[in-house]
Formats: sequence, structure tokens, C-alpha cells
Amino acid sequence: MAFAAATVHAGMSKGFNRLLDAVVRIDVREITFEEGAQRFTGGTGSGVIISSDGLILTNAHVASPRAVEISITLANLEKIGAKLIGWDHWTDLAVLRLDLDEVRRRKLNFTSAEFGDSSELSPGQTVYAVGTPYGLARTVTRGIISNNNRPFEDSRGVNGYETGSFNTWLQTDAAINPGNSGGPLVTEDGKVVGINSRAYIGAENLGFAIPSGIARRVSAALVLHGTVTRSYLGLTPGALQDLERFYSLAANTGLLVNGVDPDSPAARAGLRPGDVVLALNGQKLDGRFPEQLPPIQNMIADLPVGSRVRLQIKRGGQNLDLTAVTEKLESQVGDEWAFEKWGLSVRKVSRAFARENRLTDSSGVIVLGVQPGYPAAEAGLARGDIITKIGPTAVIELSTLKKLYEGYEANPAPQLVEAQRNRRISLYVIKP
Amino acid sequence: MTFLRRFFLFTLLAVVVGTVHATPLVDLFNERLKSVVAVEFFIQDEIERHPVSVQGTVVDKEGTIILPGAAILPGVPPGQLKDFKVYRPGSIEPSNATYLGQDALTGWHFLRVEEKLRSQLVPVGSYDAIKTDPVLSEELWGIGLRNKDEDFMPYFLSARVALITKLPQKTAILATEVAGPGLPVFNTAGQLAGLTQTSFGQNFLLFSHSQNAAPILLVNVEESSVVWLLDEVLPNLNRIPKTVTGRPISWFGAYGMQPMDPEVAKLLKLENQPGVVLSDLLEGSPAERAGLKERDIVLALDGQPLPRLKPDRVVGGYLGQELLRHAPGDVVTLTISRDGARQDIKVTLGDEPKMVREADRHYFERVGFTVREFLATDGIANRIKPSEQQGVVVQFVKPGGPGASAGLRPDDWVREIDGEEMKTYEQATKKLTEIEAGKIRHEFVLLVSRGGETSVLRVKLN
Repeated sequence: MAFAAATVHAGMSKGFNRLLDAVVRIDVREITFEEGAQRFTGGTGSGVIISSDGLILTNAHVASPRAVEISITLANLEKIGAKLIGWDHWTDLAVLRLDLDEVRRRKLNFTSAEFGDSSELSPGQTVYAVGTPYGLARTVTRGIISNNNRPFEDSRGVNGYETGSFNTWLQTDAAINPGNSGGPLVTEDGKVVGINSRAYIGAENLGFAIPSGIARRVSAALVLHGTVTRSYLGLTPGALQDLERFYSLAANTGLLVNGVDPDSPAARAGLRPGDVVLALNGQKLDGRFPEQLPPIQNMIADLPVGSRVRLQIKRGGQNLDLTAVTEKLESQVGDEWAFEKWGLSVRKVSRAFARENRLTDSSGVIVLGVQPGYPAAEAGLARGDIITKIGPTAVIELSTLKKLYEGYEANPAPQLVEAQRNRRISLYVIKP
Repeated sequence: MTFLRRFFLFTLLAVVVGTVHATPLVDLFNERLKSVVAVEFFIQDEIERHPVSVQGTVVDKEGTIILPGAAILPGVPPGQLKDFKVYRPGSIEPSNATYLGQDALTGWHFLRVEEKLRSQLVPVGSYDAIKTDPVLSEELWGIGLRNKDEDFMPYFLSARVALITKLPQKTAILATEVAGPGLPVFNTAGQLAGLTQTSFGQNFLLFSHSQNAAPILLVNVEESSVVWLLDEVLPNLNRIPKTVTGRPISWFGAYGMQPMDPEVAKLLKLENQPGVVLSDLLEGSPAERAGLKERDIVLALDGQPLPRLKPDRVVGGYLGQELLRHAPGDVVTLTISRDGARQDIKVTLGDEPKMVREADRHYFERVGFTVREFLATDGIANRIKPSEQQGVVVQFVKPGGPGASAGLRPDDWVREIDGEEMKTYEQATKKLTEIEAGKIRHEFVLLVSRGGETSVLRVKLN
């Protein structure tokens, strides 16, 4: 008996217990535009309160602009609404704010967590994951930091959006399951060192978290602006690993350009695949290993949009100085919408999508889905078609199509639709 | 009892004898066997031989034999086709044959068998031809051949006509398989009715339902239920290619020829007029030089309105086929609708750009891959204007070789070798030859493009 009591007293630190009170369950109802219709789906994740004025940090794949209703369950099991303040799929982070009026009215209490320094973590160090795996709220699992600098890029990782280009991840063997997403990874004293975000499903204990250093920076920007603005050059780096000799470079020098997006600032500056960037704005680059690439990408992203960038290049035996002008970074994924009477859901062609698919420009919308039996499906339109024209009107923006649709709703008449697939043009008729 | 049975047998025989008014099918079958052969050859690629066993039909007294188009994959260069052997049904006595080439219009491959076998063969055109196309439910029959291990033993197949349609070739679809692919089909009187094509995969319903896809490929490779009728066969039996590559082949140069849906025609007030929407016109192609533009809707060829064919997409195939009937240099007139107005445009057809099977290629054994010339079709796949084309395309990668270990794949577009831009095929092969010969170099670097993304690959020589 005394022995058992002693165990309890030797339990977790005060800081850890405080942290537990700051972890919340997040239930999200969100809208999707699949299959030619608006539909609502639900999901559950985790989050951590990071300020006394009710800011919650979670994953971008838990709460996104598609969310129509966000419900928070506090540690004391009280439920309360929240709003999305901002999100950033590149780092898989989102910030919510509790409905403070409701907090005051219902006299609710909550605690906020403190950040720890993720740069001081070392492999082998004990960490805990706290969250709501499979809806099991306030679940604590324990593990170690398995790796503190894991590169991990995924072009469709956050609900179809790109992620992981600008940061490395903490890898942990603390059990992370669906529902843990957005919950904190903490040290024994309850300091948040990471935001748990993904795991290899089917693998044993391979979980990944966004380091708190990144999370602090991104969440601050999201609170201020609702979004993180990044610069884009259009170069895809590759690790130089073992290629130094071929390029006649000293070890730990330069960034290999594996690819250059067509019509990007880098392409316009004359950069070519196979070039090695020795320095950027005078700062020497070292992209020898894959782990070193996300910080370099982030350094480019941090440049002011529209600024001139001096690139010192090595091309074969030649040294070149190129100047590029950065653009604002865009996702491949454009805005989505459903035209319900047509049974048609679409996504705007983004500049990035147009580049990757070598379309002539970024006009048009991509068919996400059609609903069987509805006019779009009857006309023969199918997922992946790019609608470029309705009647005589070029569909340049999503708003163009929305306006045309309003006209159709007011006065339904057959519409001639021009769509492309693999650049081959077909005509269709949407009939009431 | 015994008496009764005998009586019954007798009457039965009388009935049978009474209805026989022509040559028995078994006799027709045995006679028609002289027009079909089994053909074996192999495709010799960089490291392996792939044996191929197909069936063919005799078309003349000079020992010319046709094989169906699918017998040889399109990209295989004639130089890799080796050791053609022809066998009569039921025999394993081989006769040598020479490959003459592929006809672009029908897709048929032509062979010529050596002298000694010719006297035993009968051209398929020497049988009576049916006077009118077979009708629905009519019974047709043909010959199937077993494999070599069964001495190419012939067997009898028959089936009824389920559907006659234009795809765009006039085609009878039978309810079940009626003959080996590429073999003749007859009516019960022994008159020639057509020639089987490679079967549709699964069945014709699936073929006609798939909207955006190409025809589904076959499942039963040994028998076919798809028959080109005589209009498609007799006039073409003498299309023996002038060259082994099948040239001359005419070229139009619009790679998007999408059918216009009847609803679209109605909306555009082109009612009851089938059409083909042009797109993906290659820069410098005859279509582009003639002033045709994306979105032009072709309504007629040389004054003849495009026919109504089902499924709609067959109309695109029809236009392509009709253009192929012409020779390079021929002038055709297309009637098009552009922005609601009709106009005629004259197009001088060109020469088909170099095809994959004609491209120069070279296998580099030490690096373990084959490169070939960059062709117009590669330009289309990579969305590169002809004026910007350069480099070479990887045709073959030896499994486990240095190229494969570096991550190189077939169809990769090699743009630089060791940091040097490859402008021509000759430049690339020279460079690779130097690399292979070099005794000091243990690695080199390729810049390749794949699906629009480039990467630098490092190839380590063993």
C-alpha cells in the first residue's frame, strides 16, 4: 500500500500535469467537393492550447478552410466551439481560437501549454505523445526521439495539398494513431517540443511530429496574417551526395538543381537542371544530404516576394551569376466548388498545376467529380477533364463559372462546354 | 423391336441425305486449310529472345502471307524480327519466310514464304466470295490452330453473327469465337465472308461503353470473334508494303481528333452532321501549315460528309483511316466549321515522321541501356515543339545493369550526358561510346526528364 502510494507521488511533473489540461479533442465537420456534389464529412483530431486567450495549435489536415464546424472538447470534458484563424499545409499546421464569449458566459477554465526548444532534443530522449487516438481522449503514450532531423516531403500529404518541403520532422516511437494528429509531443516536464502529425500506417512505431521551433514561428504568422506567405523560385533541389567529384566541388559545397519548373522565376533567370547553386544572395549553400534541403528551401521561401535573388552558379567548368525575381508560392490545389444542379464539382487550375501539367496557362477548372445521372455526367464529362469554355465564354477563373451557373439557374438552357484531356479538345452539352 | 430400330435408323439416314445439297462442311474445312498457316518467329531484343507464335492467311500464289496487326508490337524495329518459320496445319515441317513489312492502313504484317511450300498453299481470294454481307444470326465458320506441341492441329469453330457495324471498318461481331485471329471466315456454303481481327478484350459491349479510353485489348489471344467483312479485306490483300517500314505513309499531324457528340451538333445547328474536333496540331505539320486551327470541326472530307458511326469516337478513327488511304503529297479538302462558319481548307498531306520502329538506336552493353533518336511522337508526349527537340530517348534498360541501378527507365528523355547538352543522336552515341571505352572513368552523370520532371542520375560503371 505504501509502496503503491509512493509510486503515485513519484509520478509525472507538475508541468506535465498542466500540459495534460491544455490538450483538447477537436471534432471537425467539413465540406468536400468530391463526386459532383457538396458533401459533409467529419473527423476527429487533437490540439493543444498555446495561449491564455484560447489559441489552439493543431494540424492543417485536422482543421482546414473546408471546416464548417469545429468543436473543441477541453480537458475538463466541456465542449466549446472554435474558429479557424489560419492554416499552412506546407508545415501541416493550423491555429484555432476558442469561442471566448462562450468561455466567459459559461465560466469555463482552461490551461495553456508551454513550448520547449525542439533544437535541443537528442535521439534517445524520452518524449510523450498526448491526444485522441481513435477518439480515445487524453491518451498519453511514451517513447523516445528516434531521429530529430527527418526529411519527409509529400506532394499530396495534407488532404491533397503539398507538405514537408520547408521543414524536417521529429521522428518518435511513441505510439501515434489516427486521432493523435495535432496533439503535442512533450518532454517529461510537459514542454511542447512537437506537433504529432503522421505515422506510417502498418509500420511499428514510426511517428512524425513538426518541431516546436517551426510550429512557434508558423503559428505566430498564422495568428497575424491567417497564412504564411512564401517566395517561390521554381527549382527542385537534389542531394549532391557523392556527386561532388563529378562537379569538381569541394565537399559540403553547393546545391544541386535537379529540376527547374517551366516558366518559373528560376527558368526565366536561365537556371538549368544540372546547375549547382554555390551561393544565394552571397550566402554559401550546402545541400549535400537530403536533410539539408528543407532548410535551404525554407531560406528561399523566407525571401520577400518579388525580390531579386543573386544566384552564383556552377555549370560544368563555368561560373555564372544569375538573377531571379521571386514570386509568391502557390499550391497545386486551387479553390473548389460544386455546381449541384449540374452534378459537377471542380477545382481551379492553379499556376502550379498548370506548370506541372504543362498547360498553356492557368485558365480553366479541373473536374473533380460528376454525379451519375446529372447533366454533367450525362454530357460525358469525367474526372480529370479541364473545362476551358462555356458557350463563347472562356472559363478563366472559378468566379466566371459561378456567374455562368447563376445564369443557368435563373434560366436553364443547354450549355456548350469545351473541355480538354491530355490537351485534346472535346465538346459537350450540359442540358437541363 | 430390332426391326423397329432398323427402320428408324433408315428413315433418319434418308432425312440426312435428303437435306445435303452442297459439299459437306468437313470437306470445305479440309480444303480451306490450304489457306491458313501457323507462323513462328522471335523478337531479338538487347539481351533476350521472345518467341512469338501467330497465325496467318495466304493471299497470293507468290507465298505472301498476312498476319494481324497485333502480332507485332508497334515499336519493334524490323531488324529485331528474326527467323520467320511457316507451318501448315497439322505439320511441324518448317519453311522459311521473309518479313515484308506492315501496311499502315490495315495494320497487317506481310510475309513471303520460301518457294518449296508455295505449291501446297491456296490464296484465300481464290474461293468464291459471298455476294452480300452476312445477315444477323447467320452462321459463319472458321479454323483454329492448336500450338506447336500439338502439331498446329486444326480444329473447327463456328458462330452466329451478333452485330454488323463500322468501327470504322465494316465489322461483324460474332456471338462467340469463330476462327484464330488473322484467319479467314466462311459461310456454310464455303464462300469467303471476311478475315478475323484480333479480338476485343472481354466483349464488344465493354468496347462500346468505354468513353474516353482506347479499345480494350484482347483476352483470348488464340481465337477471335471479330471479323472484317470483304469490303475491308479483298481490296487490301495486295497492299504489300513497298518497304519494310511500310512507307510511304501519309501524315496529317493533328493528334486530337475528338468526335462531336450529337447533342453538340444540335446546339451548334449542325444537326445530323457528324464531326471531328481538331486539337493538338503539331507545329509544322501538314494540318498546321494548311491553316487548320485547334477547335476546328471537320464535317466533310473531299466533299463527302463524315458518316454517322457508333460509338461516336469511331468517327475520329474513320477520318484517320481515310487520310491514310492517301499518299504523301495528295491534296485533300476538309470542310470545317470555325466560329459557326463553314469553310473549305485544302491540306497537302506530308510524310509520316520517323516512327519508333524506324528510329536509329544503339545498345550500350557496359552501361546497360539503349538510346534512340528523339522523334516527333516523343515531342508530343513531352509537349515539346519540334523546334525545341533534342537529346535521345531511352528505349531499353537492362535489368540490374548500371543504368537500371542509377534509376534510369525506358522512355526517359536524356538531355545531358556528363553535363554536356546532347543536341543530336550522333552526339549522344559518340559520347556514350567514349564513356564505354574509357578505362579510367567509373561513373558518369545523366540529366533526364521524365513526365516533365528532370533529375540528375549518376551511373556507376562496374
